[in-house]
Amino acid sequence: MKRTPQDCPSRLPENTAVKQQQLPACRLQLSATGILSGFFATGVFCLGMGVILILSAKSSTEIEINYTKICASCAKLRENARNFDKECTCSIPFHLTQTMRGNVYMYYKLYGFYQNLHGYLLSRSNSQLLGTDVKDVETCAPFSKSHDGTPIAPCGAIANSLFNDTIILSYKLNSSVHIQVPMLRSGITWWTDKYVKFRNPSSSNLSSAFAGTTKPPSWPKPVYELDENDPGNNGFLNDDFIVWMRTAAFPTFKKLYRRLSRTQHFIEGLPAGNYSFNVSYNFPVTRFQGEKSVVLSTLTWSGGHSLFLGLAYTVTGAMTWLAAFSMMAVHLKLKGKRFSPDDKVKL
Amino acid sequence: MFCSEKKLLEVERKVKANDREYNEKFQYADNRIHTSKYNILTFLPINLFEQFQRVANAYFLFLLILQLIPEISSLTWFTTIVPLVLVITMTAVKDATDDCFRHKSDNQVNNRQSEVLIDGKLQNEKWMNVKVGDIIKLENNQFVAADLLLLSSSEPHGLCYIETAELDGETNLKVRHALAVTSELGADISRLAKFDGPDTKLMQNSGKTKFKRTSIDRLMNTLVLWIFGFLVCLGIILAIGNSIWEKQVGDQFRSFLFWKEGEKNSVFSGFLTFWSYIIILNTVVPISLYVSVEVIRLGHSYFINWDRKMYYSGKATPAEARTTTLNEELGQIEYVFSDKTGTLTQNIMTFKKCSINGRIYGEVQDDLGQKTDITKKKEPVDFSVNSQAERTFQFFDHNLMEAIKLGDPKVHEFLRLLALCHTVMSEENSAGQLIYQVQSPDEGALVTAARNFGFTFKSRTPETITIEELGTLVTYQLLAFLDFNNIRKRMSVIVRNPKGQIKLYSKGADTILFEKLHPSNEDLLTLTSDHLSEFAGEGLRTLAIAYRDLDDKYFKEWHKMLEDANTATDERDERIAGLYEEIERDLMLLGATAVEDKLQEGVIETVTSLSLANIKIWVLTGDKQETAINIGYACNMLTDDMNDVFIIAGNTAAEVREELRKAKENLFGQNRSFSNGRVVFEKKQQLELASVVEETITGDYALVINGHSLAHALESDVKNDLLELACMCKTVVCCRVTPLQKAQVVELVKKYRNAVTLAIGDGANDVSMIKCAHIGVGISGQEGLQAVLASDYSFAQFRYLQRLLLVHGRWSYFRMCKFLCYFFYKNFAFTLVHFWFGFFCGFSAQTVYDQWFITLFNIVYTSLPVLAMGIFDQDVNDQNSMDYPQLYQPGQLNLLFNKRKFLICMAHGIYTSLALFFIPYGAFYNAAGEDGQHLADYQSFAVTMATSLVIVVSVQIALDTSYWTVVNHVFIWGSIATYFSILFTMHSNGIFAIFPNQFPFVGNARHSLTQKCIWLVILLTTVASVMPVVAFRFLKVDLFPTLSDQLRQRQKAQKKARPLHSRRPQTRRSSSRRSGYAFAHQEGYGELITSGKNMRAKNLPPTSGLEKTLYNSTSWIENLCKKTTDTVSSFSQDKTVKL
Repeated sequence: MKRTPQDCPSRLPENTAVKQQQLPACRLQLSATGILSGFFATGVFCLGMGVILILSAKSSTEIEINYTKICASCAKLRENARNFDKECTCSIPFHLTQTMRGNVYMYYKLYGFYQNLHGYLLSRSNSQLLGTDVKDVETCAPFSKSHDGTPIAPCGAIANSLFNDTIILSYKLNSSVHIQVPMLRSGITWWTDKYVKFRNPSSSNLSSAFAGTTKPPSWPKPVYELDENDPGNNGFLNDDFIVWMRTAAFPTFKKLYRRLSRTQHFIEGLPAGNYSFNVSYNFPVTRFQGEKSVVLSTLTWSGGHSLFLGLAYTVTGAMTWLAAFSMMAVHLKLKGKRFSPDDKVKL
Repeated sequence: MFCSEKKLLEVERKVKANDREYNEKFQYADNRIHTSKYNILTFLPINLFEQFQRVANAYFLFLLILQLIPEISSLTWFTTIVPLVLVITMTAVKDATDDCFRHKSDNQVNNRQSEVLIDGKLQNEKWMNVKVGDIIKLENNQFVAADLLLLSSSEPHGLCYIETAELDGETNLKVRHALAVTSELGADISRLAKFDGPDTKLMQNSGKTKFKRTSIDRLMNTLVLWIFGFLVCLGIILAIGNSIWEKQVGDQFRSFLFWKEGEKNSVFSGFLTFWSYIIILNTVVPISLYVSVEVIRLGHSYFINWDRKMYYSGKATPAEARTTTLNEELGQIEYVFSDKTGTLTQNIMTFKKCSINGRIYGEVQDDLGQKTDITKKKEPVDFSVNSQAERTFQFFDHNLMEAIKLGDPKVHEFLRLLALCHTVMSEENSAGQLIYQVQSPDEGALVTAARNFGFTFKSRTPETITIEELGTLVTYQLLAFLDFNNIRKRMSVIVRNPKGQIKLYSKGADTILFEKLHPSNEDLLTLTSDHLSEFAGEGLRTLAIAYRDLDDKYFKEWHKMLEDANTATDERDERIAGLYEEIERDLMLLGATAVEDKLQEGVIETVTSLSLANIKIWVLTGDKQETAINIGYACNMLTDDMNDVFIIAGNTAAEVREELRKAKENLFGQNRSFSNGRVVFEKKQQLELASVVEETITGDYALVINGHSLAHALESDVKNDLLELACMCKTVVCCRVTPLQKAQVVELVKKYRNAVTLAIGDGANDVSMIKCAHIGVGISGQEGLQAVLASDYSFAQFRYLQRLLLVHGRWSYFRMCKFLCYFFYKNFAFTLVHFWFGFFCGFSAQTVYDQWFITLFNIVYTSLPVLAMGIFDQDVNDQNSMDYPQLYQPGQLNLLFNKRKFLICMAHGIYTSLALFFIPYGAFYNAAGEDGQHLADYQSFAVTMATSLVIVVSVQIALDTSYWTVVNHVFIWGSIATYFSILFTMHSNGIFAIFPNQFPFVGNARHSLTQKCIWLVILLTTVASVMPVVAFRFLKVDLFPTLSDQLRQRQKAQKKARPLHSRRPQTRRSSSRRSGYAFAHQEGYGELITSGKNMRAKNLPPTSGLEKTLYNSTSWIENLCKKTTDTVSSFSQDKTVKL
């Protein structure tokens, strides 16, 4: 049992940096000057960024036209779900005082629509939308199967509540001639959504591909007939459908609907003048006290027209400067009468 | 006697020796030692059962079950089960390895061989198969693994010597004797197994191993409860919100969305939402918290094991952290309870100096006649001419040797006395070397010194003592042996030398002996007295030496009276004592001896440094008051600068109370009298006041309290007085305390002072105290293993305590606190965004982040940087930690992590979560992507938030980490890189194609993280959440710098040109005069010698009859028994059986 040092030299712990806690390291000890200059630099950056953002936001234009109340009669009609097959259109004239230059994007905007409800978000079937198994409706409750047990395609609450207004923008060229502003529906979806996430089931034609499924209960038409004009824009690959399926984070949101095709009169953008929206009013927002509007907007280098970031940066920058100045004041005031470490460390 | 002590458990035991069949009827326990918990079959169920008894695990299991209910499941099941399985597996593996070690050590003990008498033959049997009632033959130096009854032994009179190192750490031999009836039976030692296995004294004494938890643990539990309450509040708020929302908006909206199936009672919906949010918000206290804490502690324990500066090369013993869960408590110690022998001292006595006839020998002088330290190189006296010399003995003063050679009669007489007046037994080993069996190491030192100087004690019989005086054998007739006892504090022998002169040789405490001197000694007395003061000032243990010449006639008369007294029936002891007094007078002083009770290395420095760190050191020792005080002075715990040293030595409760009261009066009287009035309040108030009063006490005080007094003082009504007094004293020494009392004292401080305690000791008598204290430290590398086995930390030298506490403990505490602060901050920031989001998603318990992110955040994305900080961080380096013991104080005051700190962390987390949520919210409100596309979708929002969160907490940990090693760099940058790579992997096309339902975020990272706007949001979030913290910390360091801040600044400044100045505390030594009598001696050995019972039969000379009549044959053993009861009872008080 007795051990002599010679017997067990291995009991001596190894002399490595890790084991002796002597790892070479740099100690993070920020000096006052370092911190203060960091603060000033950050302040400058934030203020600058804020100003730039505000200026660029100002340079873009945005028009929002809330048509919930304007199309009151249609709204009334839609409040009763039984009238779903009755057509209702309304026209909303407006005047554009300034030309909107550059690319103009048309959005629809919904207020009070909770696309972020837990149950709502889950009520979709990605594998169905991927086209691998059209009948996979497992996760789609409560819209997985129709009353007779046929699987719904596309299934789920998100698809069922698809925004189905049609909005056409027309330009009053002169007092009598209205021309429809040319709009593109392409390029409004994410590339990955259009080419990876959503695929139609493979089959010679779409209607046979969706054989054995039924349309969502709120939809007037099955998924393969969403766009009668463009056969390539049907099924799960319908752009509006894809945009809708990318659910919004907050109850107020706008989604890209169309973008201006810059041809003819509209090469520069949207010229000033009188316009009108012709809306086929299908989406019953008043049933849940929501609102909807159309938004026309140009973009800046950083995206949409939003003052918030610019303001936030400006405020942060200002606060940082304020903090930096007060810290400097405190530091300089104390510098004279600070204890040297030795005064306090008496041994 | 033996059986009666078992009373509590069973009234009596019936055992027939060597009759297994009969004994089996009683179903006594077998002798298998069983400390392991599991076997292969029971491991899984028992271990799982145990694990789920822990609150945390049960809580997570509960959450898991909640998540399996589809109605309220807001997170998928894998978010909880992945970490839970991980944790449970890790713990199970650890438990299994621990148990393996226990199995191994059990087997080792169980399989030791013993010789058992079975069917009339001696057979080899494993100890585990020994049964109650077996007769066992033991040989010299064998282990004993059961409680045995001694039947007979090969030694005369059925004596046997046992070593109890594994029980009490004492290495000296103890005498046990067989009953007279049985001792006649056999020649070899044979014993009867009495209590087996779990019934043995050892197992019964071991006490229950309490599961120790640190105060941080307890605080953490409280905080977890707080957090849980907080979660419930949040849950209730959100549930109410949900009810209202359902009523006002949700009803219509839901019915619009979901048609009929959406219809729900709003209150019921609120109820479900409550549970859903409980699930979501549980990530504030994730399982990874508990795992990380354990990992960090394990890391710290390994650092202790690996520390070369705590490795004792002398015994090849590294320090060992035996418990891996207490490390940060090492940084909070306020009281250290230390054993003396073996811990502070080496239990080695060395003869250092002596004063003979007014001249000091042993002092080393340099050429100028100045005293110098012995440590300077100096030739020791060469004893090689003396064949009998003990080689380990060293003496540096050559003058003594010369005096002997010159034949100075006083010197000769002095050494002769040392060789004659003692209770040592001699024996020759196989090599012909003399071996002394000493009963007190002091005596051993003296006899050995005499031996080296040429007066060798050779052998003794009951009537003679043979010594070799400078080469010639001289036999003295031992006429009387005036034994030592506590009152006499001296021992004497009366011998007749070959010339026929009768001499009385006496040694004893100076105070006592000086009163017995002949008046003619006056001059010598003052001189010697000065010398004694000098010796005592150096912390040496002193004895005065004197002799008396007796004339034949006087002795004969006296001897006759002694015989009478011995045969007397009444007042025998008093009469004998009177006779002893009578003859021990008119002594001629010879001089004094000074024996050093060698301190362990570095004890003084350690003690000084620890007291600078405001750690109070209490010495709890079984030794005598004088010895204990002496050691107190020797290691600077007691100094002459102290205003007062209170000694409490009363024998009754009233006396003790009075003494305590006086001491307190004294204490307050010397300060201001008003405090006197203040402390007469109620007891509870007193305790609170104590800390206030403590501040007002100026000056140093010390308290010395005796074991007997302690027993009274620990009674409930005096307890508080004692505690109050003790806590105001700088040093407390408790002497003559039993193991149980040691534990009681620790318990007292633990309970009423609410302080963190540490007990350090080396023997089995310290086990109870080690187990009782918050942290038990065992001195390893010694014979007895009991203390180490019971301890939480062990190392070989007391001085390592300094490094353990000031470096490892401080760092551990510092790191753990930083870790906890950061961890709570991080998880509040992480989780509370769900709360804010609740207000925008109709309180529908939708999470902000992707489920995968929630699963991985705590275990992959952010665990390693904070672990690295928790394991490697240092504010100041180890040298500074040792040099500035004041750095230890934040730990004692609990400054780095407490409820206030927690609230600050929580506020910090809440602020960050606000910034994290509302900046993206504002930015996303009316935003569009650079290509006009949808930007404010849920998935982009989730990715933005997750990315900002990971970046913000990484920047935060980067700011918190004050010691950037490679590991920190790798972990912090690696974590961010890991986050992005996992993000892109999970959002990639390939993985979506395989699991479309599990990874619906396809393309999201690519799309969102290429938008300038998103990066602007992330940047702003980071700036907004980090800048206020930096500003706050800057101001704090600038305005209220702590010592460690200052040191860090200085460390930085001096980094380049820095000669390490290691500060050595000055060792001041007092020179006051104390009664230095220190004789770790037991009474009764004198009788043992004169009766000859402990001597081999062959050595016994024909009895002269002179001594025979003095004692009847059994009295000595009764006396021995009676007189050892003091020490015996100390042990049996501890638990039941005493063998």
